[in-house]
Amino acid sequence: MMEVEEGNFDEAYDVYACMQCGKCTGSCAVSLRSDLNIRELMRIAILNKNEDLEKHEEIWDCTSCGICTVRCPRDLKPAEVIIGMRSSLVEGGTIPVTVRDALESVGTNNNPWGRPKSKRAEWLEDLDVKVKNISEGEEAEYLLYIGCTASYDPRIQSVSRAAINVLTKLGVDFGILGEEEPCCGSEPRMMGETGLFEMLVEDNLTLFDEFGISKIITLSPHAYNTFVNDYPECAKRLKEDDVEIPDIELEVKHYTQFLEELIDDGRLDGEMMNEFSGTVIYHDPCYLGKRNNIFEPPRKILNIIPGARCIEFDRREDRSLCCEGGGGRMWAEGTGTGERNAIIRVNDANQDGANVIAVACPFCLSTLEDAHVTAGYEETMRVMDIFEILDEVLK
Amino acid sequence: MDVIVCVKKVPDTAEADVSVDAGGREINKERLTFAINEWDNYAVEEAIRLKEEDEGTVTVVTVGGKDKEDILRRSLAMGADKAIRVDMEDPEDSFVLANVLCTLIKDQKFDLVFFGAQSGDFNSGVTGAMVARMLGISHAAMVNGVEVLDGSIKASRELEGGLNEIYEIKLPALFTIQTGINEPRYVSISGIRKARKKPLDVMTPEDVGVTEVKPMLSLEKMYLPPPGKIAEIIGGSPEEAAAKLASLLKEKGAF
Ligand code: SF4
Ligand code: SF4
Repeated sequence: MMEVEEGNFDEAYDVYACMQCGKCTGSCAVSLRSDLNIRELMRIAILNKNEDLEKHEEIWDCTSCGICTVRCPRDLKPAEVIIGMRSSLVEGGTIPVTVRDALESVGTNNNPWGRPKSKRAEWLEDLDVKVKNISEGEEAEYLLYIGCTASYDPRIQSVSRAAINVLTKLGVDFGILGEEEPCCGSEPRMMGETGLFEMLVEDNLTLFDEFGISKIITLSPHAYNTFVNDYPECAKRLKEDDVEIPDIELEVKHYTQFLEELIDDGRLDGEMMNEFSGTVIYHDPCYLGKRNNIFEPPRKILNIIPGARCIEFDRREDRSLCCEGGGGRMWAEGTGTGERNAIIRVNDANQDGANVIAVACPFCLSTLEDAHVTAGYEETMRVMDIFEILDEVLK
Repeated sequence: MDVIVCVKKVPDTAEADVSVDAGGREINKERLTFAINEWDNYAVEEAIRLKEEDEGTVTVVTVGGKDKEDILRRSLAMGADKAIRVDMEDPEDSFVLANVLCTLIKDQKFDLVFFGAQSGDFNSGVTGAMVARMLGISHAAMVNGVEVLDGSIKASRELEGGLNEIYEIKLPALFTIQTGINEPRYVSISGIRKARKKPLDVMTPEDVGVTEVKPMLSLEKMYLPPPGKIAEIIGGSPEEAAAKLASLLKEKGAF
């Protein structure tokens, strides 16, 4: 990732290696329902015709699911080229108003939701257990990184509370950062705000260092992905530019990976749970699956739940259908017409006979929850984060 | 067209819990976030658009301590050419502020002065009009559209009840700008970094030549309005609250 000045797409993304085969467009999560044609955008990049990018409103349709990058036979990174294009739009200042407001809010409130920083920990109020707050000097082995969406969105806050309950019951030594928790920067980066992302990396690594945090469990695959894949690269680049960054090695796990380890260590098993009744279908989030090849841990957890009948989507693992919640799409409606992927997904789940869709990502929860209501499954189906299911069954 | 835009940094109180401090004349500021006044942001954008359409300069001005400089840097990154900060404590009232600004502006070269129509802290909406009066130039308040003509300018003003009126005004003039006149651009972090090279002058009130004036208003006491007697806050989950609201409305004969 780097800032793209006019005419250096080649240097940044090696676009001349593109052979215009179209595999990227063929696999794109949204090309069926939007004008987004990633092959065409690659061609624009090759020809350096990036001066008219404002006209390509569909650049904001990309969910940054990453499947185009996975499928490209030339090992190019078309998903990153889109970020580069967004980045030049961001620098020019003409971006969708909703994206502008989200980015400005990260700058002032440390979250893209336009909500005050002082209310970031409000979700804790309905909680019975006491949680350590690392920012208040309490020590803990792990930081549970909640993230902006699970801090502010009323539906997703329930996942944060479930996480606290579950980890507490399992005797994990963890803490949170409460109001001091920063935005991880994943969404700003995907929206092309490179400078803001760099600033967050610098600030956040300094903050983690200050509080002695080295082990992190994330609720969101997006935070996981950015801590694991983007932070080290960005920190290296900043250091080369003589920015002072603390030398800390972060050990970051998505919570499903962490719980899988507890299962392997015999600290979490079906005996500890009450019977769950339901047919559960697991929806792979792009940022765990396609982007990080994490397919097993969530399935392993669901499989030990007594009474849960686990079934699979036809389109699963690295072919999982993107819910369209990532890549800044929470703040950009997109040009697409036709059925939303999330609606297709809940219909598929219904057809497969599921009455619980299990997710492991706040954005998937938000989009699928909405879709299952819109599609009329409110009475017959539940969309639940795996943490919520565990919170319900753990004795 | 040379435009001077006066900007102010204000707390974001839209959703924050606002409380009054022990002294009873100030709100507690520690947990609030501060940013450029929303109306001023539209004013800066409008000035930059005028410059981009034609030519000229944009100067942004604020009064206050060093912590106010970030809104100037941001405006420079948006496209303003120059910034001035008058280094002093926050003025006691709009009249004192208007006096400082007028003294500063009268020695600058300008065709237009822009203010936000009001500021999100006290929402008085008077500073711009006072400065126009002190400078002895024409002014229009709540301007939601401008068009440059030869030697004059057309300004449309928003009136009550959805009406608009259009004036042709001789330059120099002062407008207070209403939100919605444009769509302010995004200012990126790297844009702000790059704008560090642009000039930001810090002047003391003595440099400016400010003579002391007495405030016209003094704040006696600040307090949260006591809850009204008939107001009732409905608590509980969304379902419970909705059910309760429905039964209340029925009870009061709303349907
Ligand atoms: S898949 Fe790769 S090589 Fe093929 S068109 Fe897309 S970017 Fe180019
Ligand atoms: S990242 Fe996903 S949505 Fe974006 S262009 Fe690639 S395949 Fe399409």
